[in-house]
Amino acid sequence: MTEVTLQSVVKRYGDVQVIHGVDLEVNAGEFCVFVGPSGCGKSTLLRMIAGLEETTEGKMHIGERDVTHMDAAKRGVAMVFQTYALYPHMTVRDNMAFGLKMSGVPKAEAEAKVAEAAKILKLDPFLDRKPKALSGGQRQRVAIGRAIVRAPDVFLFDEPLSNLDAELRVQMRLEIARLHKELSATMIYVTHDQVEAMTLADKIVVLRAGIVEQVGSPLDLYADPDNLFVAQFIGSPKTNILKGIVIGSEGDSLRVHLPQLADTELDVACGTHMEPGKDVCVGLRPQDFGPDGDVTIPVPVEVVESLGGVSYAYANLPGLEEPFCIEHRGRSRPEGSVIQARFTSATALLFDPESGKRIR
Amino acid sequence: MPALNIRQLLLNVLVVALVVAMLLPLFYMITMSFRTATEIAEAPLGLPDRLAWENYAQAFGGMNYVRAVINSVGITISVTVLTALLGSMAAFPLARNTSGFARIFILLVALGLATPNFVTITPIYVIFRDLGLLDTYLGIILAFTALNLPLAVFFYVGFIGAIPKDLVEAAKLDNCSDWQAFWYVVRPLLGPATATLSLFVMLMVWNDFTYPLLLLTDKDKFTVTISVYRFVGNQNIQPDMLFPAAVLGSLPLLILFAIFQRRIVAGVTAGAVK
Ligand SMILES: Nc1ncnc2c1ncn2[C@@H]1O[C@H](COP(=O)(O)OP(=O)(O)O)[C@@H](O)[C@H]1O
Ligand SMILES: [Mg+2]
Repeated sequence: MTEVTLQSVVKRYGDVQVIHGVDLEVNAGEFCVFVGPSGCGKSTLLRMIAGLEETTEGKMHIGERDVTHMDAAKRGVAMVFQTYALYPHMTVRDNMAFGLKMSGVPKAEAEAKVAEAAKILKLDPFLDRKPKALSGGQRQRVAIGRAIVRAPDVFLFDEPLSNLDAELRVQMRLEIARLHKELSATMIYVTHDQVEAMTLADKIVVLRAGIVEQVGSPLDLYADPDNLFVAQFIGSPKTNILKGIVIGSEGDSLRVHLPQLADTELDVACGTHMEPGKDVCVGLRPQDFGPDGDVTIPVPVEVVESLGGVSYAYANLPGLEEPFCIEHRGRSRPEGSVIQARFTSATALLFDPESGKRIR
Repeated sequence: MPALNIRQLLLNVLVVALVVAMLLPLFYMITMSFRTATEIAEAPLGLPDRLAWENYAQAFGGMNYVRAVINSVGITISVTVLTALLGSMAAFPLARNTSGFARIFILLVALGLATPNFVTITPIYVIFRDLGLLDTYLGIILAFTALNLPLAVFFYVGFIGAIPKDLVEAAKLDNCSDWQAFWYVVRPLLGPATATLSLFVMLMVWNDFTYPLLLLTDKDKFTVTISVYRFVGNQNIQPDMLFPAAVLGSLPLLILFAIFQRRIVAGVTAGAVK
């Protein structure tokens, strides 16, 4: 088990800077997920850790070793590629054994390791097949097997599930979680899917445009986001963001007026003192609407999406670009009517409208 | 639609005319090879009265056929293997490197492609004379390899560029050096490209006339093409030897094409689509 440390890591392609000074600590045995929208630099950062991209500035340690400019093969990392990158001309067995062969591991030992990995991943029946003759999920497992046999200090995954269909994706997600428990190795996992991030991670790193927006456990990020971006990126459906005006304060609580939401007034817990008349952004999670709550908000529901156990009701509010969404319990489908949704005002999140920073 | 039919008809006529034009020399080569020298002298374009097989027996010995075929096959195979190997090795870094230097280098290679073979023959002759490579198998093999390398490099750069770069990166993480990544991962994937390329190279080497003519003087080292040329003297031509020799000279390639016809057509069309 080995920790990974990044210090002010920068990546530039020519004049274009893609990673802007990332500081990060991944603890030994931790499952760390890089999440962020497409093009934010997740893959680049992962590939820098793998040694497939040169690090322009900053320092990188794996365990005690400074790996900043070390060869990829010497870093003790194994990577699972989005495309699987299996060698098409080799059998599953040879694909998994190739790295060992190249490292001069004796044949018998290599075979034993491949057999063990095949057992963990249920690949025994396919060992003599070529990748072409495997399904997507099986190929994915071979790619993981190839990483396992090398017993790396750190596993790196770059969107490993994005080429699988939805059902298989859930299955493989569970399998990766199980593997992490079994191997108790340090894993760094890249995805643009916040559900994958929430379900797999011990630690989530939210990236945007090459900058770390926030690092924390899934529930911390959900409950206590540092900024608007994280609040909207983590959690599904997205957090509703509304315009708010401070109309008064009392102790550790601000009274906020929401002109876009039927002139509702909320008492939001907030340690920062703010003058009446200040503009703020208010984030209301759809999940925080429910049968209990201290305020009642009329919501003119237009569409209801029912997922079985839970439903989400959507309304188009004047002045809002995106539909306003609330969780809706029960079997009724109140489309076209105004429902009186209840909300716990303490769970509202306040943000600075200019910087997007959280006001706590 | 009569307009279309007329077009169709014209097209068919054109195709038939082309086929006839291409087959006519072949037809004459074969018919002439079975006629005696007197017959040819009397009626140059006539058909054989009988099959003069003795022409073949004479030509077979006169051109030292077995020896010539062995030489040609040996040289062709050596050049094909060397060209494929060196060409793919050179193409591997060029296909992955996007720097200006690599681009310029590829341009230089393209320049090599555009250079007619006879332009290089004088410098090659002079260099080989100084190096003592004239009249050696090594010399002729090196010359042919050099002539075909631009084509090979160009060909492989395109093909290797289409191989996902993840594969090479996976090999890197699997502890491969650049060379090992090439040898164990990239090279085995080049089969179809190599098949198509080899076809072009083999044809060129087997059929080339000027290079062996200038670089080889020892009759025991002659290739098939220049062995046929022996029957063309300064003053006279021996038609009853020349034509059977020409048939014998093309025979090995014809047999090869007959066997691999399907793969060859597939290879050529695959190359055409790229
Ligand atoms: N080789 C490269 N040269 C220039 N820019 C690149 C290169 N590779 C990636 N980028 C840029 O870096 C940014 C991050 O890319 P990437 O790490 O692949 O994003 P993600 O994996 O988060 O979708 C993108 O804007 C991309 O255009
Ligand atoms: Mg990516």
